[in-house]
Amino acid sequence: MRDAEERTRSDVPAVEVENVSVRFGAIKALSEVSFTVEPGAIHAIIGPNGAGKSTMFNVLSGVYKAAEGQVRFGDARLDQMRPFQIAGIGVARAFQNIALSSTQSVAENLMLGRHHLTKAGFISAGLRLPRATREGRIHGERVAEIAEFLELGDKLHTPVGVLSYGDQKRVEVARALCTEPRLLLLDEPVAGMNAEETARMGEAIHEIRSALGISVVLVEHDMGMVMSLADRVTVLDFGRRIADGTPAEVQAHPEVIRAYLGSGEEINPAEAAVHHPTETPGTHS
Amino acid sequence: MSESTATATQRSTGDRGRPAAAAPRRSWVRPLLLALVLVVLLALPLYIEEFWLRTGFAVCVAIVGAIGLNLLVGTTGQLSLAQGFFLAVGATTYVFVSGESGGIGLADLSGLGWPPLVGMIAGVLAAGLAGLLFSPIAARLRGIYLGVASLGLVFIGQHVLNSWTSVTGGFNGRSAPEFSLFGFTFGNRDPELYVLAVPFREAERLWYLGLVLALGAYLFARNLLRSRPGRALQTLRDSEVAASVMGVNVQGYKARVFLVSSMYAGLAGVMFALSVGSIAPESFGLEVSILYLAMIVLGGLGSVGGAVLGAVFVTALPLIFQRYADVVPLVGGPGESGLAAGEAARYLFGLAIILVVLFEPAGLAGLAGRFRRKGRGSGGGRLTRRSSAVTSSSTTSVPSDRPAQGSTT
Amino acid sequence: MTQFLSLLLNGISLGAIYALIALGFVIIFKASEVVSFTHGSLLLLGAYTIARLSDPLGFYLAALVGVAITALAAFVVERLIINRLRGAPVISLAIVTIGVDIILLTELIRRIGSDILNVPHPWGGGSFRIGDVGISMNRLIATIVAGVLIALFFVAFKYSSWGVSMRASAEDGETAALMGIRLGRVSALAWAVAGALAGVAALFLVGSPTPGVSPSAYTVALRAFPAAILGGLDSTGGALVGGLLIGLAESFAAGYQEQLLFLGRGFGDVVPYIVMIIVLLVRPSGLFGTKELTRV
Repeated sequence: MRDAEERTRSDVPAVEVENVSVRFGAIKALSEVSFTVEPGAIHAIIGPNGAGKSTMFNVLSGVYKAAEGQVRFGDARLDQMRPFQIAGIGVARAFQNIALSSTQSVAENLMLGRHHLTKAGFISAGLRLPRATREGRIHGERVAEIAEFLELGDKLHTPVGVLSYGDQKRVEVARALCTEPRLLLLDEPVAGMNAEETARMGEAIHEIRSALGISVVLVEHDMGMVMSLADRVTVLDFGRRIADGTPAEVQAHPEVIRAYLGSGEEINPAEAAVHHPTETPGTHS
Repeated sequence: MSESTATATQRSTGDRGRPAAAAPRRSWVRPLLLALVLVVLLALPLYIEEFWLRTGFAVCVAIVGAIGLNLLVGTTGQLSLAQGFFLAVGATTYVFVSGESGGIGLADLSGLGWPPLVGMIAGVLAAGLAGLLFSPIAARLRGIYLGVASLGLVFIGQHVLNSWTSVTGGFNGRSAPEFSLFGFTFGNRDPELYVLAVPFREAERLWYLGLVLALGAYLFARNLLRSRPGRALQTLRDSEVAASVMGVNVQGYKARVFLVSSMYAGLAGVMFALSVGSIAPESFGLEVSILYLAMIVLGGLGSVGGAVLGAVFVTALPLIFQRYADVVPLVGGPGESGLAAGEAARYLFGLAIILVVLFEPAGLAGLAGRFRRKGRGSGGGRLTRRSSAVTSSSTTSVPSDRPAQGSTT
Repeated sequence: MTQFLSLLLNGISLGAIYALIALGFVIIFKASEVVSFTHGSLLLLGAYTIARLSDPLGFYLAALVGVAITALAAFVVERLIINRLRGAPVISLAIVTIGVDIILLTELIRRIGSDILNVPHPWGGGSFRIGDVGISMNRLIATIVAGVLIALFFVAFKYSSWGVSMRASAEDGETAALMGIRLGRVSALAWAVAGALAGVAALFLVGSPTPGVSPSAYTVALRAFPAAILGGLDSTGGALVGGLLIGLAESFAAGYQEQLLFLGRGFGDVVPYIVMIIVLLVRPSGLFGTKELTRV
């Protein structure tokens, strides 16, 4: 599914998740989960509700501490770093439930993404020193570019709370992009979106990968989107990895089918790909 | 569709495409209005009487303190009741550094006798230092634990004020030295000053000092909120986890905002000493902390302008009640029947706090915003610019700050 | 040695009273996620009511009515105000309780004025002695009553349906609601219970060795805050431990004041807060509070 002229950034290493376990008291939310995200790949994590997908994301962002196992991103050990440090080395996250500041404008929310790339402190900001204003302006321009890219250019100064749900999700993704990441974690980016919005987001994600050459990890329930977009899929159920492979391999995997059918989910991944053909015309199959 | 993606690719690889959407048009009405207000404020001492001038300076004191507290409580969402403590540190340091040694009667006071400007700066720095010492605790505590822990500071502070008699004057307190700036005293003489045939004594001179300091405090805070640190702080309030994931060093910022807030309070403490002319432990107790909290709640948490409005309201009201006791219903003068001015004001504040939190979390600033919008006709989004404490909204982010009870996905 | 033992007994009894109040905080926090800053004035309300009604109604009835009124006041606060703010940020809730506290306190101080009202405890100001070691009768009875109440509470908390409901809603409010637990009812009952506990504490706090009801009872009640915090705001056991710790610390600091004069007269009054800060330095969630699972 890669276009001919794609290239991966040379400084994007693989993400190696090795034997990660997470415990909440007596509950084991993740049990010895391992997978690898190749540099520049779009990697999806799927599974029924309660499988541990968001927990995995929280481990990758440093919010939860793994009881066992390691997460390596190049030389860095993500499992030993605090969230803001992880952001500092280029790992960005768009949250499932929108974690934006509804009272602030889109631009202001996006500028938060530039936090680790800028330096203005209390004094230089409070006194409005030239270097602080200059820094703000330069990064403001970059933020505007990124907003344009996600079709938010005309909404830069709108308070986020006024925007539609779909637009707010785009702001989430845009904010993550503003951190200039090497690894982008998207937690259910099309949850609650209609077909058209889903298609646009899917295009944007594909565009992000091909234009920026970064790795993207995706948690999603929308099977059609996953199957068409992802290079590789890891399937979790009850905190364990039950399958890992290309979309086609995973679709046909008996464990996966049983996990979905057994837990009462109507969506059979094999059927979903047939009944929801890719709604992204003009890209790829 | 593919066309726009192609151009998007172009842009994201560094091409400057279409310029960003224009910032909202700025009318010239607002700056003109502000200039007018400024002129009026500068000219007032020529016309109004001393009571109002002194009230005005007291309001400026409150403005400085309220703006600082608002940064901590409103913008960053960290409840603190320690305002009284930091006011005390600032005031006491000023009085000690610039006061004279020696004693009147029983008290044996020590003082450094340095220039008042040094005393003022020392007061601010000392409060900052106290804030710095407490900030590691402040940074690690959840918002509400901090509220109670800060209670401790107030009581400990009062105890020290009562005990360390050589510095603080103990229970009776001590008087505060007059402020002066490079030889120009902010008292009644030194030099004798007449502006347009109006004698400029202490009240007039302090008025200008208050204006300058309050204005500086306001501008600094406003600049802060519109820039990188301000954004980080606001995100902290909405979700510490989201802020951290976006690259904000949460504990570092919590510590730093605590430091800034305590320095503001230190300055307010120095100004308080000048306003009253003396310091005494009872002025720095839980009551004053709660009064400042009332100011920022009533003004609208998170809004610098709101803090100003709240400070004006809370400070001026009891004084006005007292002065016009015969006209205000229910309030009686000292010795008369009816509520004392202070009591009446307190009832009002308590009630106002409850009403604000219940019905209009954006406080006075929110109300002001509504009137402004009504005046201009509707226009703009339906969303009121709520500097809200109660954000119903879409910032219920995941992961929540409460301990997880098993995963959801 | 006898002084030490006396101070120990005194500290335990004081701690038992603080534990009652602290337990109230914790109950409220668990049931409605609110730190109730109203407790100081609620306690004063209880004390004032008992004092005022002792003459007409006699001590025991006045005590009963006083406790009931305090419980009722807490209940009303919850129904009228807290209930409307369900889901609001914790800080807004805390602020609104401060607002209520301001009103209640101002009113009570106005009524009390500069009087010191007396509560005629039937056991008077006598003391109970074992050899040379003594403790005031009032404090002794306080300890016994507090002990009984606390034990009753823990049993109810563990086994009664109310206790289970409250633990469930504290653990996970949404799920509890989905399971049919009426969060509002749990919360209202929690406030009422906390109010009642404060009322009982008030009853004993204003007896010997402290002189009657005066606005300073408010300041004394505030010292239960550190007790709740250092035990962990969501731990009922922590409230107990915290209360005892604070009571003992205060008792010893006051008792050995002469030796500790360099720390200032009246050091015993601030010792609770110092202990709290020290504990928080080491354990930011309190001794037994739930540690946050997320790291920032």
